[in-house]
Amino acid sequence: MKKMIAADELAKLWIRLAEKSTLFLPVQDGPTVLYQPWKDGAQVELEAFNSAISPKDIFLPREETYLHYHCSGQSLELAAVEDDRAVTAFGIHPCDLKAIEMLDRVFMEQEPADSLYQKRREKTTVVALSCTKPDPFCFCGIFDVDPLDAPGADVMAHLVDGYMHLEARTEKGKALLEEAGDLLENSTIDKIEREIKTTDFGLDIKGLPEDLKSRFDDPAWDELYKSCLSCGVCTYVCPTCYCFDVEDYGHDAEGERFRCWDSCMFGHFTQMAGGHNPRPSRKERVRQRFMHKLQYYPEVYNEIACVGCGRCLRSCPVNLDIVQAIKALGGEKVEHR
Amino acid sequence: MAERNLEQLEKIREAVSQDLLSGRIELLLGWEKGHYWWQSRPLFASSEGDLARLTWDSFCAVNLSRYLLDELKDHQKVGVLVKGCDSRAFNRLLQDNMVQRDRVILYGLPCPGILDYNLLAAEAGSKLKGITEENGQVILKTEDGEIEVNRDEMLMVKCSECLYPDPVVYDQMLLEPLGQKEVPERFKAVNELEALSSEERFAYWEKELSRCLRCYACRQACPYCSCRECFVEQENPRWQGRAYQPSENFLFHLVRAYHGAGRCIDCGECQRACPVNIPLQELNRKLIKDINELYGDYEAGVDAEKEPPLLTYRPDDPAAFSEK
Repeated sequence: MKKMIAADELAKLWIRLAEKSTLFLPVQDGPTVLYQPWKDGAQVELEAFNSAISPKDIFLPREETYLHYHCSGQSLELAAVEDDRAVTAFGIHPCDLKAIEMLDRVFMEQEPADSLYQKRREKTTVVALSCTKPDPFCFCGIFDVDPLDAPGADVMAHLVDGYMHLEARTEKGKALLEEAGDLLENSTIDKIEREIKTTDFGLDIKGLPEDLKSRFDDPAWDELYKSCLSCGVCTYVCPTCYCFDVEDYGHDAEGERFRCWDSCMFGHFTQMAGGHNPRPSRKERVRQRFMHKLQYYPEVYNEIACVGCGRCLRSCPVNLDIVQAIKALGGEKVEHR
Repeated sequence: MAERNLEQLEKIREAVSQDLLSGRIELLLGWEKGHYWWQSRPLFASSEGDLARLTWDSFCAVNLSRYLLDELKDHQKVGVLVKGCDSRAFNRLLQDNMVQRDRVILYGLPCPGILDYNLLAAEAGSKLKGITEENGQVILKTEDGEIEVNRDEMLMVKCSECLYPDPVVYDQMLLEPLGQKEVPERFKAVNELEALSSEERFAYWEKELSRCLRCYACRQACPYCSCRECFVEQENPRWQGRAYQPSENFLFHLVRAYHGAGRCIDCGECQRACPVNIPLQELNRKLIKDINELYGDYEAGVDAEKEPPLLTYRPDDPAAFSEK
């Protein structure tokens, strides 16, 4: 099913989709663009590259309350917090959707599946949007991301000459287009052709995961970490980082239990009761993060856990990003070394 | 950028490589180019070969003094390139007893302010390929030709109210000093916020802080946040929760800001480090302004001998809270 709508009519589509679902869109929030629930008057920035934080927030929210507790005397009452409202994730770029599929493997393809994640994933319809003018930080090309197509999308959208073209690819996607049927016309284009240029930094990542298997004690780690500030920026903006913590908010008698993002770059991430810390310094923590992306994840799932979205390149306060790491570890074409 | 500073860079490299070769310093903290022409990142140079990567341009934003906290554990003598703000950061650490003066060689680099790539790119309109600088102007080289803009208007927020482009403490000044800088309206954003009602101000901060991810980049980049253990990580008692609630956001940012009252050197690394652009410098500048009004003019980090106002007591100190 292929439909289209004039770009200046899109506000009508937002209103329609927000009637029956929580509609996430990239919106301008102060000086940043973030995926947030759409509200009337929100400034939607579909062509912003890239949102400050990845849309993983929709599936693995930075904070997710799942339990209320209430104690009185000897009794303890627990109530699950559930939200059955459907979600529409609109305007997800191909790199970010590929990253979400990487999270799927971690949260849903292992036994037991993570029920909170699975529920969010199942109730969400993803409308992916092909890229128009990627920013200078984009380097998705080396990770086999096609900026013009997101294979896992429920609906694949393209902005072309003042129109948004929408192609339903799943039952969920079809239902979404039918929901807005009266706002849409039949699409007039068959194939999208557009040249998208992204940089490759001269990287050559072939064989890197295998190569790194024996390089836990490589001298490169002794240098790479030095500029790291031990903040959590890279992990929080990254679309493929997924560590979380569980904590309570409230007091002894009443409160809620939530899970929230955590970061392996924090010193206390691996702090044990009794004081021992297996990753005592920045060196071990930086190594952990990059090894996770470049070796541990690929070892299990046969794919490097990076999609080239460029957020760490843009946001790391000291420019210690994954490209620098790959280069330091020898993942560069011979002529670039 | 690079063209303008090539001569300066040679001067810097000559001075520091002499000291590195003679053993006067074991390590030099400087900058090297990142992946892009608008990014310069920290360089840890311990050999002549490392120094070949040294750079000095309008994008050397990272305050290097903070790295001394770690590097002095591994090295007896460390050299640091310091801009005006970096030198004040050094004084900050010195006053907090976090570094030893005689183990550090400071190389002074007067700094005309760091350029903000986002401002340059916005000004360029089409694709920005590079810049050159002359006579207080920046020439943007875009796909559609050249555009000339006023340099002062392209500065990072962190540099917008800089009074001390020249290092205030150094062992060796490597370049010609620029002299104290005029700031047309200091505390501009603070004045605007003060003009709001307290409800409006609360709403403003509640919204700005709602983006906070608690990644602690602001704290980690900050020269006044040098506590070995931050209250945020303390487990017993537990002060800071992880919930993304307004109360938790306010707790972190306000406690941090108050902790820096009279100690913040206004280097703006907090705001620069923030991945979601929270205007953190306004909080710190408000406290700088208040301290100046209550206790007389005091610029943190300018004079290491001068005690910060909140670390001293005078019988005639104002006690505004007890007065009705």
